Amino acid sequence: MRSTGHDQQKTRTLWQKLHIDLPLLAGILILMTLGLCIVYSAGGQSVDMAIKQARNMGIALFVMFAIAQIPPLVYRKWAVPVFIIGILLLVSVMFFGQVINGSRRWLNLGVAMFQPSEVMKLIVPIAVAWYVSQFDLPTKLVHIIAAFILLLIPTLLIAKQPDLGTSLLIASSGIFVIFLAGASWKLIGGCAILASAFAPILWLFLMKDYQKQRVLTFLNPEQDPLGSGYHIIQSKIAIGSGGLHGKGWLQGTQSQLEFLPERHTDFIFAVFSEEFGLMGVTLLLLVYLAIVMRGLWIASNAQHAFTKLLAGSLTLTFFVYVFVNIGMVSGLLPVVGVPLPLVSYGGTSMVTLMAGFGIIMAISTHRRFIM
Amino acid sequence: MNKKATKYQPTTVAWRFYLVLSVIALVYLGLVARTAYIQVIEPDMLKKQGDLRSLRISANKVHRGSIVDRNGHELAVSVPVQTVWADPKVVVENNALAKVDHWQALADVLDKDVNEIKARVTRNPTKRFVYVERQVSPAMANYIKQLKIPGIYLRKESKRFYPAGEISAHVVGFTNVDDKGIEGVERVYDQLLTGENGKKRYRKDAKGHRIEVIEDVESVPPQDLVLSIDQRIQALAYQELKGAVKAFKASSGSVVVADVHSGEILALVNSPSFNPNNRANTAIHRFRNRAITDFYEPGSTLKPLTALIAMEFGSVESDTIIDTSPGWMRLGGSRVSDPINRGKLSITDILVHSSNMGTTKLALSVPKQFLLDKFFDAGFGEETGVGLIGESPGIMHDRSRWSQFELATLSWGHGVAATPLQLARFYSSLANGGVKKPLTIIKGGNDDPVFGAEQRIFSASSTENLLPMLEAVVNDHTPLAKVEGYRVGGKTGTAIKAVAGGYGNDYVGLFAGIAPLSKPELAVVVVINEPGGDLYHGGEVAAPVFSRVMKGALRLLNIAPDQEKTAAQQISDKELTHV
Repeated sequence: MRSTGHDQQKTRTLWQKLHIDLPLLAGILILMTLGLCIVYSAGGQSVDMAIKQARNMGIALFVMFAIAQIPPLVYRKWAVPVFIIGILLLVSVMFFGQVINGSRRWLNLGVAMFQPSEVMKLIVPIAVAWYVSQFDLPTKLVHIIAAFILLLIPTLLIAKQPDLGTSLLIASSGIFVIFLAGASWKLIGGCAILASAFAPILWLFLMKDYQKQRVLTFLNPEQDPLGSGYHIIQSKIAIGSGGLHGKGWLQGTQSQLEFLPERHTDFIFAVFSEEFGLMGVTLLLLVYLAIVMRGLWIASNAQHAFTKLLAGSLTLTFFVYVFVNIGMVSGLLPVVGVPLPLVSYGGTSMVTLMAGFGIIMAISTHRRFIM
Repeated sequence: MNKKATKYQPTTVAWRFYLVLSVIALVYLGLVARTAYIQVIEPDMLKKQGDLRSLRISANKVHRGSIVDRNGHELAVSVPVQTVWADPKVVVENNALAKVDHWQALADVLDKDVNEIKARVTRNPTKRFVYVERQVSPAMANYIKQLKIPGIYLRKESKRFYPAGEISAHVVGFTNVDDKGIEGVERVYDQLLTGENGKKRYRKDAKGHRIEVIEDVESVPPQDLVLSIDQRIQALAYQELKGAVKAFKASSGSVVVADVHSGEILALVNSPSFNPNNRANTAIHRFRNRAITDFYEPGSTLKPLTALIAMEFGSVESDTIIDTSPGWMRLGGSRVSDPINRGKLSITDILVHSSNMGTTKLALSVPKQFLLDKFFDAGFGEETGVGLIGESPGIMHDRSRWSQFELATLSWGHGVAATPLQLARFYSSLANGGVKKPLTIIKGGNDDPVFGAEQRIFSASSTENLLPMLEAVVNDHTPLAKVEGYRVGGKTGTAIKAVAGGYGNDYVGLFAGIAPLSKPELAVVVVINEPGGDLYHGGEVAAPVFSRVMKGALRLLNIAPDQEKTAAQQISDKELTHV
């Protein structure tokens, strides 16, 4: 280990000294540029919005850079206290949170609004990876159950807010860790059965009416085209009217003309599709794929179980982001509030995502410090 | 502990990574496939849906074009008027009905019952538009505006005004209250006069703002329609006809004046006529454009056709003498006769005396089919090409069996029926050297090489031989048709009107003629229907009208007199040419 580290030290480039993974950064910057263009278009060519988004990106890039400087070892050390603080924050949201749009997600810190569930997106995989990596791989059933409990607590707390999208992402980030740690197929099968058994319970007791409505709408959007089906129908129309080549930047009519709701945030993919067509969509997905592949490559080259699991989980969560968002916008999945990573307008989720990339970069460039 | 964990990594995790990779690849493929499906397979429907949500069309109304005569005199113009309408919702919301005095004033100015107006407005309080009164005068509109009743509004509309009044009423026709042509030229050329409303296809956003104009269909501006009518001749013809119809106690009458070379109709009048500016309480029969809708047996006016056919076939020459003794003959079971035995007659004499015997002999001297073909060629049984609504093709039987007597009666214009317009067309063809042209009501309407198709129906030499005969008819037999200073040819006709099952007691007096014979320019047909006085013969009731209309038309059109000039006139002509 030490000798490898030594070898690497010899060949360390400037980027490695800065703890930046260049291919990953390149992919991220491409996405951000595309995102900026499309936010400008979707926001009715508002320069204000573009500038705000650029500022968000700047902050996010800084956060990524800062986090990349921290050796992964530190996360592992602090995993337990941070997890406990996170859970406490979630609980305090339950009692003191601000209600916005019918859900209780935000804590008012006086100076700023804070969304604990966002931070949990990072804390949960760290915590689960910390727990699982203490034991031999493949993980034993007992540990897996314990890990499940570990990730179920924040998931349910967030689902209760309610914030289905985030709880889904957090649950999957934990599950990815467990899966990568080597859960047996029997276990996975059992979990799948458990999950399907859990679904009616979720439906009856946990989901709010508007969430149920979303699912019903997903199954048949045309049943209420002006009401709850409006999002999906408009979004499909926007995507479809792009055709093969798209209408061109700033030329999208469905999106520009405000027929499409949430067009600069969750439904930005529809705007993108309308303006750049299938060609643009294919290119965009290729960039996402490249980022995911790079992340997995970093994970597979990580030299410790913790870093390996963490990098893998973060990368796969990023992939789930993409899949859920595009799936929802194109009518494959029910509408859940998941933005298109690095492209959708908004600061919070971007900072969280970039912090995640910061961790991945740290894992890829701090190898010699792990042991 | 950590070292233990790392020991297993390479084996355990590697294949899981490959699995993850392949799942990811599959999911991405799925996403691409999904968008491809939406964008390439489904897009037509979705694009259409998108357009349905954002594309709108607006129409820009245009003003109806004018109708003018060949010299630019206006026959129909649009004038702006105001229409009073109500928005019942606004009326009700503002409790406007409480203003009793105002409503009474409104009713008074519109000359209506106040309760009726109120009832109409309040019948459906949620409606947003109810007409109160259409096309009111500017003064009335102004008064109503001053009343300031909430919910009562004015709207600009245009109303048709016909300066020529009853003179050209049948030709020009009229529009309905919505400015759509429903009679005459107004109807036939409605599209041209209306133009095409400009259309804008534009995109609107979800809030209804207009975003971009995608297509701006230029309005086809309404065009002014220039008729072939010469309003001066038209007025003259109408005046003469109206006078004659009144004087001879006729039920109706028609006059057609046509330019023989171009086929343009210079005048087309009927009596009785109507006032197109106020059609209320007008008897419906007055709207009839009799010159094109009513057909009569043309009687002797067709005898020149028979003579022409015989000369064209070559069975007779222009100087052939025909023996009509003993003044009667039997054909089949029927008798053909002249009033007296006129003995040997030249063709000119046959026409001058309108000899049935002579015409019958001429008709029977040519093969049956040739005779019939030429009757069809002359335009009987077919429309004249003028294209006006309600034109009748008359009656010309297309059957294979014709008895000799039927051929004989046909030769003197019975057993065939023609509109005055068809007769005018036939005489135009005679004057035009045997070349038949469609008639047109549009100035220059026959200039089009396709639609202005002409057809030679008789040789130039035959028609040339016929014209002096027609001149002799006028000079020797119908002096009332003469026009001073001009050589005029023509033929009278007097037919007993056919009624169901035979002939009745009423007559139709006709005269058809052309002038100046040296170089024919005009054909005029006069029909006096059912004259009620002692005079009923075409030469008595129709010929004087012909003479005066022809005289006026020749002068108005500056056509040089062609009768032998006096010495003094010739000198002045010479001087003119030398200057």
